[in-house]
Amino acid sequence: MIIRGGIIYDPTNGIFGEEMDLCIEKGRVVEDAKGEEIDARGLLVMPGGVDAHSHIAGGKVNTGRIMRPDDSRSGVEPRTRVCRPSTGYTVPNCYAIGYRYAKLGYTTAFEAATPIISARHTHEELEEIPIVDKGALTLFGNNWQVMESVRDKDIAKLSAFIAWGLRAARGYGVKIVNPGGGEAWGFGSNVKGIHDTVPNFDITPADIIRGLAQANEMLRLPHSIHLHFNNLGKPGNYATAIETLELLKDIKPSRMRQVVHVAHMQFSAYGGTSWRDFESKAPAIADYMNQNSHATMDMGQLLFGSATTMTADAPLEYSNARLTHNKWSNLDLELEEASGVVPMIYFRKALVNAIQWAIGLELALLTKDSWKVLMTTDHPNGSPFVNYPEVISLLMSKPKRDAEMATLHEQVSKRTVLANVDRELDWGDITVMTRAAPARVLGLEDKGHLGIGADADIAIYDLKPEDVDPSMDYQLVKKAMATTKYTIKSGLIVAKQGEILAVPEGRTYWVDASVPKADMDRLMIDLNEKFEKYYSIRLSNYMVQDAYIPNPAVIKAGLELESGSLVKEVA
Amino acid sequence: MRTIIIRLIHSIQISLEAESISPDKFAPLTLSQINALEIWQGNRKMKLEDFFQVDGDEGSAKTEDMFVRLEGDFSRIKRLVEGMSNGIVEVYGNVGMHAGAKMKGGILRIMGDASDWLGREMQGGKITVSGNVGNYAGSGYRGEKCGMRGGEVEIHGNAGALLGEHMCGGSIFVHGDVGDFPGSLNQGGTIIIGGSTYLPGAEMGNGTITIKGPARLLPSYQQLEIVDIEGIKYRKYVGDLVENGKGELFLAEAQSS
Repeated sequence: MIIRGGIIYDPTNGIFGEEMDLCIEKGRVVEDAKGEEIDARGLLVMPGGVDAHSHIAGGKVNTGRIMRPDDSRSGVEPRTRVCRPSTGYTVPNCYAIGYRYAKLGYTTAFEAATPIISARHTHEELEEIPIVDKGALTLFGNNWQVMESVRDKDIAKLSAFIAWGLRAARGYGVKIVNPGGGEAWGFGSNVKGIHDTVPNFDITPADIIRGLAQANEMLRLPHSIHLHFNNLGKPGNYATAIETLELLKDIKPSRMRQVVHVAHMQFSAYGGTSWRDFESKAPAIADYMNQNSHATMDMGQLLFGSATTMTADAPLEYSNARLTHNKWSNLDLELEEASGVVPMIYFRKALVNAIQWAIGLELALLTKDSWKVLMTTDHPNGSPFVNYPEVISLLMSKPKRDAEMATLHEQVSKRTVLANVDRELDWGDITVMTRAAPARVLGLEDKGHLGIGADADIAIYDLKPEDVDPSMDYQLVKKAMATTKYTIKSGLIVAKQGEILAVPEGRTYWVDASVPKADMDRLMIDLNEKFEKYYSIRLSNYMVQDAYIPNPAVIKAGLELESGSLVKEVA
Repeated sequence: MRTIIIRLIHSIQISLEAESISPDKFAPLTLSQINALEIWQGNRKMKLEDFFQVDGDEGSAKTEDMFVRLEGDFSRIKRLVEGMSNGIVEVYGNVGMHAGAKMKGGILRIMGDASDWLGREMQGGKITVSGNVGNYAGSGYRGEKCGMRGGEVEIHGNAGALLGEHMCGGSIFVHGDVGDFPGSLNQGGTIIIGGSTYLPGAEMGNGTITIKGPARLLPSYQQLEIVDIEGIKYRKYVGDLVENGKGELFLAEAQSS
């Protein structure tokens, strides 16, 4: 297949809007090819989108679906020749997730939080999401084994547990959610800062974060730790955010990437002492990000309308439920995590929501290096991912932001600096934030770019970047970004002008890390005891079997040791 | 005024999803285009002309100038005039579930009975029913926090259970009896019941319920003074106190002993 004459944006390879032909063969970008030709003369061509933080599969998502029959009613689309029926808006059914990502030009999406014990469920749902390649980050922040190893300052054993946990969950990376807070929630409380003590463990969230970061780098995992801060969603929490980032400054990354990726920074950039004097501290966060280079973040942009909040941060969901008098689901997962789900509507007229809306945009616009900010809405916490085109048009157009600001509470321009931010992102920045940077942050070498050998995941938009001024024609931009002219996944045209043409099965990435046998043996003594004493299931039934990952893409990692001392099969 | 007359050709076994029968959809279309409108029967996509005979005036009109007359037994036809914004629709016969759902304006007159979910999540306009209606009239569908938000519903016969559940605004007037739990979880709006009912206003936060016939009340309602409305003496109650509610409930004095 050859794509003729597109205006290519491929920031990883230093290409910003050059007219080029793209050749595809056997699902990869190649030097030369024959066969079908696609006329893309003058059209915007980007690598397929990569969503590094999205809640698309697993127990929480399904609980959201069960709690929200009202949501299932919206977004109903009947089956077609190739598609199964779609339902839902904030919590769509599995099929709809694949189709809608493909229509947006996205070809990779990562589920952001899976407890090991419910990973099998996550993979059952991931398997049913068509088209896109996917993976799932595994939760470690409130796990007893993690906290015990941190208390004993045994980073080698902690590394062994991470390797074992990733294999057990067929997971991709280390996700940490409100470390220590989930454990405290078991006793009806929370940790109030990173130096607060976790009940019964004599350690602090700071210890857990540092321990996991060190183990993550010891194992040379493709992704860094992926951190949901303590105190998330509370006024004044920007101080916790900066304090936590300072904690990780001295840790050396084991690969060419960040040491920590911060999830949905918007929810952690709050000033004020209560919701009454709530204000944006995005400028402080952006300043910190501009001066330091060990961290990346994703926006977690909030948009007005319906959302469903779901997180392993159970105490946060309790306060959400109390605040909104809405439905609330709460779950405790044995020795591993807690979680919660609360439906939410963000109102344009509510001052707090309007400030939150502005904070996400400020973070993206005030951080000078686009490679440090991924565009997300923390689907479906801030807004469903189908609204990415709205976020893109807001980032690219000051007039659009001004028009939106004019409809908001007058206090918004006093409590945020968004009105004074003139920066408008260009197509290069947008390609970085939605493709190149997420792939680099996750450590996916074949994604997010169009160099020779890259996966042939390509999005062609019905928009001529040379004729359109995104600043003025923001409506055109939003419309064009909502449906691709062509979405190509592994060299196959999967969507054309909003119609799904093919539904290939995507791959599931997971990380297989090797650790010294001695460490693994020491770990198994602990784990056997835990399963014997506390767990509701047996160790032999705990691991996710290969049958649940029909199309695996395994990335090898682990400790580099002399041959013979490596454990290939860790369990 | 442009008149469209729709007659059911033969009886239907599998229900139709008929949101395309609406003055908004008909207004800009010619008769042949109306005949070709899409309608779902189960999982099959059909056309209006497969089930109905369409007569009336040719040419397009504004929605407010539309008059639609439906004749036949529409009791297996769901979502009639869903989201209608203006015009007049008269049905000579019974209607199926979800008639007048999400209605924004205009008038729907039903000379017959209506099934469940009549006028659910209605925002405006007026519905009158000469016969009886099923359960959940003027309520919110599963999971919805807000049912009827505006407009008027008048029912000359009886109504089923859970009338106006989750109601946030608008008014419902039932001349006859009403089933269990009318106005439960209400956040606003007005319900007037001419006949009897059972346990009205459970977990009501706000709104008004007036009952002229006999009714059993929940113990979580606090009785206040006796008031006189249009010559009838009512006992006034406030509740539901379980939810710290501020809803008002009036029960005709002659019935409350």
